[in-house]
Amino acid sequence: MLPFQIERIYLDFQAENDWVTQHVLQSLPEVPVKGVGDKRGLIKNALSMADPIGEGKRNLFITRFYGKRLKPCPGTSRHICCGYFVINTVTNCPMDCSYCVLQGYLNNPFLTLYSNWDDLLQEIESFLSVDCRPFSRLGTGELSDSLALEPLFPFSQYLVPFFAQKNAILELKTKTTEVQNLLSLDHRGRTVVSWSLNPPRMIEEEEKGTALLRDRIEAARRCQEAGYPLGFHFDPMIYFEGWEKEYEEVVQLLFSRIDPKRVIWISLGGFRYPPQLKGIAEERFPQTRIFLGELFPGKDGKIRYFKEIRKEMYQKMVKTLKEVNPDLFVYLCMESPEIWKEVFGWSPQNSSHLNEFFEERIKKFIGR
Amino acid sequence: MKTIQEIPLKQIDITDETFSVNFMPDLQRLRSSLQTVGLIQPVLLKRRERDYQIVSGFRRVWVWQELERDSISAMVFGGQEKNDLEFFLLSLEENLTTRRFNMVEKAMALQKLHRLFQVDSLEIIKTYLPLFSLEPHEKILNTFLALAEMEEEVKTYILREEVSRFNIRLFGKMGSEDRLTLIPILSHLKLGESRLREMLTLLLEISQRDGQRIKDILRRSDLQSILSQKELTPPQRTERVKKFLFCLRNPRMSEKEEAFKKKVASFHLPEGISIHPPPFFEGRGMKLAFQFRTTEEYRAVVDFLSKLGGKEEFKALIQNF
Ligand code: SF4
Repeated sequence: MLPFQIERIYLDFQAENDWVTQHVLQSLPEVPVKGVGDKRGLIKNALSMADPIGEGKRNLFITRFYGKRLKPCPGTSRHICCGYFVINTVTNCPMDCSYCVLQGYLNNPFLTLYSNWDDLLQEIESFLSVDCRPFSRLGTGELSDSLALEPLFPFSQYLVPFFAQKNAILELKTKTTEVQNLLSLDHRGRTVVSWSLNPPRMIEEEEKGTALLRDRIEAARRCQEAGYPLGFHFDPMIYFEGWEKEYEEVVQLLFSRIDPKRVIWISLGGFRYPPQLKGIAEERFPQTRIFLGELFPGKDGKIRYFKEIRKEMYQKMVKTLKEVNPDLFVYLCMESPEIWKEVFGWSPQNSSHLNEFFEERIKKFIGR
Repeated sequence: MKTIQEIPLKQIDITDETFSVNFMPDLQRLRSSLQTVGLIQPVLLKRRERDYQIVSGFRRVWVWQELERDSISAMVFGGQEKNDLEFFLLSLEENLTTRRFNMVEKAMALQKLHRLFQVDSLEIIKTYLPLFSLEPHEKILNTFLALAEMEEEVKTYILREEVSRFNIRLFGKMGSEDRLTLIPILSHLKLGESRLREMLTLLLEISQRDGQRIKDILRRSDLQSILSQKELTPPQRTERVKKFLFCLRNPRMSEKEEAFKKKVASFHLPEGISIHPPPFFEGRGMKLAFQFRTTEEYRAVVDFLSKLGGKEEFKALIQNF
């Protein structure tokens, strides 16, 4: 049983014969399929609907991707970023978080799966063969959730063994519990499975369709047993009455099940958004309270919590986490050097400096 | 082809507004035209058992009555000739060829189609929104349906101030009592489109965050005292009200701004010198501005600033903000 609903499959004629397509169609035998010759027309039509984003999440579009599918994470200007690479296997996501930036970012609203899989593996292969960094980090969780579509196509079964042979790290970021396919794979510590965490109340109010907190942690525990390095992302951290206690409870619950020594990194990122998101999200989620914080535009044009609030949230979280284990590797996502200094007492000089810390961490973690 | 008949005005039911789409009609022009050239186009009536119902031509009948005429030229339809929706569409068509509908009238027409004549929303979006030169989108229909539900005072304000659809949607998120408390206040302020949007957004967000009704926020004594200050000009009053709401919405930022202002005030800067924090206190780097007209004034400024640079409190300001 799928944990989400697919009402229809739109199948690009050019993707019809790809083996990935056949696999997906077999996974969804009951779902009606409609052939598509005019991709633009299909998208244009969807965009004219009352809620194209919501509609897109219930309709799967299988097509081929002809551009570059591996790109440096766009990060954000004048802030320190972690130097990540983004792999585009799927765009959009069947879950529906009120704060999801994809709502204002994608010009194709469909849940879209790219069927030219072999081209992608080749692209990653050639990227890694010329990449001289000791441990580049690549992830599939930027334009979608890394594991949400595992029941339709087992991406992990191809990606994890592939990365096991490389000197690079694959990060699978998720809010699901879809780890079954991962458990028996030979990963050689090259795949980090990571979860985005928030207090249960926030999950219920702002992360529609995602797994419960305790289920995410249970899935993480299973991956821990299977020997995977684990990552956790307190991102977006949401400021609400009682946040301090509720985030602390998340940390306690997490480390009652997870060994901190198996955690390769933890990121903290206050809720932030591009200006166009608010209108879209408020329209789609009239009950959302996420925009009620003190939020102001930053130097990169994104809107963030007032600096003092971010500082307070990060400081308290870092303290809580370090009390669990002072060796936890905690970093800030898309933050300014001033905030880094105020939270940690130091700041990476720039994004590539932070990247060096990641490399060291990885080496230490996987014992090289 | 229908013949034109003279129908006595007292046989026409002017209280029945089933097919009427009128809000704040400008009768002045119609009146003078009817006075000079007379009635060129007959009104459309539906025959009922005892009287006539107006299908189209409400304004003409009103003015004709005002001019104390006894009868009016009309095309009369039998009650069974068309159903009410068809009569309404006939009325819309006739009106659309002779005049423009204002925002509220469009809203009224769409509401009638939706509520009274039970036309399916999709059909309204596809067929009728374009008829009123509106984009065929559900969001637009919802905006106009919300407008139709609003109180007369609010509708009047919206028409008079040419309020945008975005701001109409914001009004639509408020309760009736909230809007009725707000409108007299807004009428005393000087608000353009974006100021109005800012103010409505602030009110809605404070209300949602604190679980407090907008009317109760507006009745706060501190806000009322700003509103009752007679010496303020409308732009000054607007600024004060906006500032008040901003502080209520963003207490921590306001606290920081206040603390900064206080610190700067303690330096007793001479006239013409000012110090500003980075926007929203994000990042480092304050801005210093000064004005001078003569070399003497320039030297005095530089002298003051160099002394200021040595003061511990000034160093603390740089350190802490
Ligand atoms: S899980 Fe991630 S990708 Fe999916 S809706 Fe939520 S934020 Fe967006």
